[in-house]
Amino acid sequence: MTKAAHLLNRAGFGGSPEQIKAFCELGLDGAVKQVLNAPDDAEQFPKPAWAAPRNMMEMRQQLQALPQEERREKFQMMQKEERGNGIDLIAWWLDRMTRSPNPFREKMTLFWHGHFATSVQKVKQPFLMWKQNETLRASAFGNFGAMVKEMSRDPAMLIWLDTRESKKEHPNENFARELMELFTLGIGNYSEDDIQQAARAFTGYKMHPVDQTFRFAPMQHDEGEKKFFGKTGNFNGDDIIDMILEKPQCARFIAKKIWEFYGYESPKPAIVDALANSFRAQKYEIKPLMNEIFRSAEFYSADAIRTQVKSPVQWVVQTVKILETELPRGQVVINVLRQLGQIPFAPPSVKGWDGGKAWITTSTLLLRYNLANFALGRGPINMQRVRNVAANKNMNRPGFDVENHTPIDFEKIAPKELRSDSKRLVAYLAFRLFQSPLGPRESESFIGFVEQHKDNLDDETIRDLLHLMMSTPQYQLT
Amino acid sequence: MSDHDHIIEPHTRTLHTRREFMRTSMLGAAAAWTLPVFLQKTFLTLDAMAADSAIQSATGKDGTILVVLQLAGGNDGLNTVVPWADDAYYKARPVIGIKSDAVLKVNDYMGLNPKLAGLKSLYDEGHLSILQGVGYPNPNRSHFRSTEIWQTGSDADRNESYGWLGKYFDSCCKGADPTVGVAIGNELPQSFTSPHPTGVSFSRPEQYRWMNNDRTGDTDALFRELNSPEQSADTNAGGSIGMIGGAKQKTGGSTLDFLQRTALDAQMSSDKVLEIARKYKASVDYPHSPLADSLNLVARMIAGGLATRVYYVSQGGYDTHTNEAPTHERLMGELNDALAAFAKDLQAQGNFQRVMLMTFSEFGRRVTQNASNGTDHGAAAPMFVMGGAVKAGVFGKYPSLTELNAGDLIYNVDFRSVYATVLEKWLRAPSKQVLGKAFPLLPII
Repeated sequence: MTKAAHLLNRAGFGGSPEQIKAFCELGLDGAVKQVLNAPDDAEQFPKPAWAAPRNMMEMRQQLQALPQEERREKFQMMQKEERGNGIDLIAWWLDRMTRSPNPFREKMTLFWHGHFATSVQKVKQPFLMWKQNETLRASAFGNFGAMVKEMSRDPAMLIWLDTRESKKEHPNENFARELMELFTLGIGNYSEDDIQQAARAFTGYKMHPVDQTFRFAPMQHDEGEKKFFGKTGNFNGDDIIDMILEKPQCARFIAKKIWEFYGYESPKPAIVDALANSFRAQKYEIKPLMNEIFRSAEFYSADAIRTQVKSPVQWVVQTVKILETELPRGQVVINVLRQLGQIPFAPPSVKGWDGGKAWITTSTLLLRYNLANFALGRGPINMQRVRNVAANKNMNRPGFDVENHTPIDFEKIAPKELRSDSKRLVAYLAFRLFQSPLGPRESESFIGFVEQHKDNLDDETIRDLLHLMMSTPQYQLT
Repeated sequence: MSDHDHIIEPHTRTLHTRREFMRTSMLGAAAAWTLPVFLQKTFLTLDAMAADSAIQSATGKDGTILVVLQLAGGNDGLNTVVPWADDAYYKARPVIGIKSDAVLKVNDYMGLNPKLAGLKSLYDEGHLSILQGVGYPNPNRSHFRSTEIWQTGSDADRNESYGWLGKYFDSCCKGADPTVGVAIGNELPQSFTSPHPTGVSFSRPEQYRWMNNDRTGDTDALFRELNSPEQSADTNAGGSIGMIGGAKQKTGGSTLDFLQRTALDAQMSSDKVLEIARKYKASVDYPHSPLADSLNLVARMIAGGLATRVYYVSQGGYDTHTNEAPTHERLMGELNDALAAFAKDLQAQGNFQRVMLMTFSEFGRRVTQNASNGTDHGAAAPMFVMGGAVKAGVFGKYPSLTELNAGDLIYNVDFRSVYATVLEKWLRAPSKQVLGKAFPLLPII
């Protein structure tokens, strides 16, 4: 059961005790198969209504036809609308993570989003961010090499790393540098010359102003000879990516990053080597790599189980699943995630989120503890805070709304018949919250709490107990 | 408000800062037996951490303090430090230019915005320096990107993920209290980010604590017990895989240990912040504005001796694209009144000599006003540095209003020179290590 819960937590976003039990009954083989072949959920999550190309050419003409004052107003209105769409987009994805019958694909998409970290704050167009997200989702378990090529042409990426500004007279090195430093090889595995030469190969990558798709502009592309990784030729962008993929370091870099996301940090070189070798042998196919990881003994070792700090997204989505409740409304959950340090579609930089211990400061830890109270349906403890954030960010939307909070079924979470047996009750709750037995100190503390309140174990007291259990270092782990 | 005797609940009357911890721990094992058992392991950890750190920074009552004030949105430098003697200024800004007779003249070329009378007095008294034309090469006009450049101290053509203050905390304040950096607000600023982030943020002290619904009074004690390191490493021996607190990792320190240490830090710093907030009140009247509230809070934390080297506050609303004059005037007024009260408060406390405040904004604004009587995103702008130990004066050259780069002022002081100066001369930290390279220092301190 611990192993099943571990797989469900890491490959997806965890689940309720019933979901864990059902997953466990599949056996390791069946569970891994389900992770890698879960049903498609596209019908359940249609694209947001606003997710359509913006005809930039037409919009520009329309704006220019207006008198100056109206033009500015219209422009500001459009910006405001797009900000609203951006909020909607984040809520849309969080909802999909929470309710999808295939949370495994969402988790993998979240990994790739952190890897090819792109932010709406510079891209500005939620539609392009949504499109990139769909591309990553479609390729999540596909081929890594193909994915890198897709990302080199991805409109949001063209804006994010300035590729569309890159002309043969003035190649912009931003994409070429991050391609090697962050997306494929890691720092120190290429020279500054390699970056300059690669930048020339990615010139002429444009975005069509009408349908916002990738467009290659041959006039702006550098057709000259480039010297890259010791070879000389008239290389284009795809050639550069192919030459990068030939390096064993690329497979090592990606395999290690995936292992650290799903397993644990700083794995021994032997583990990385083994994964990298088969990743390369499988021509960078992602599904076989994940299959190997999820079936490995190491993935279920003491180094892996309950040793990972939940990311803010994991904390929120898993908490909703654990408590069998609903996500708070868009703006609220985004403010929560902002304060915890992880807003999907808005990573702090192209380097993505550091993750691990970096999620935790004294402030974010206390905030997680206090948010647990909110998740349990308690009052607007951070109302002022949420309002402040909304005001600061110039997004004066309604903040907290306690009335709309889904009630939690305490009768189900802590059945009445268990409440007279403190040990059984605590063990029962511990499985829901931690998916593993408690250490002696925790166990004694929680049982002591129940004993002390045994004459009045009403739902409010259960809520107090759950809040206490979630206000622990242990609840931050998965 | 409760009287002083009841400021701290009995069970919180333990130890408040790591420094106190360390001082106590130096008394040796004899003192340890009086402590709750769970704290004893922490001593060992903390001693090890103290030994690790190359530079033990002075904190608390003795050290120098930096306050960073972000003017978010891109403050219009030309209407803050006004070139009143330059015809080009009035030609470029026929509507929003500030009349020369209203300007608070600093020299025969420029002066301060009429609303900045308090800052002018501070300048006259020798407590304010004005840095002109601060910016960086290849300026970026995106709020997001330019803010990131200022927060990380990176070159415009490089992506740097960690903040300059975070790197300072990381390299110079290891083992310090988490309150070594305090941001007044809802989240840690990007400048605090680092591989090992530290620093706390709150907009009201009462938020920086565990908020429970303790109806019986016993939950808090349980919470404290659960949020501290385990009694001893042996307790976990033999724990089965998956038992929480049981799994010992082979690689590095366990994540659970780290979380438990942070949880204890959170408790101690929360107790301390709340204690100070209850005990210390402002010694002067502050005006009513979010910025004044923030600085009021900073002043109280300083008075209470919180072990903080860097405070971070911000004032928003500077993105004045439309009908700039009334908005900017209000912002200047709020800035001035808040800073004047803050300076007076620190002087009354006797702390003005050890506090230095520095303003920055992601960019200045375009020289020429736009068609909506506002200004669009620009480049170089002035910074203010205020404090008892500041060398007052005007530094840097006022950028030319006619020789422009794409309509924008050209910088002549790199903002990282200001950071380097603050790091070297005020925080006594090696600026090259923090900023990645050496920048010329300025004679402002």
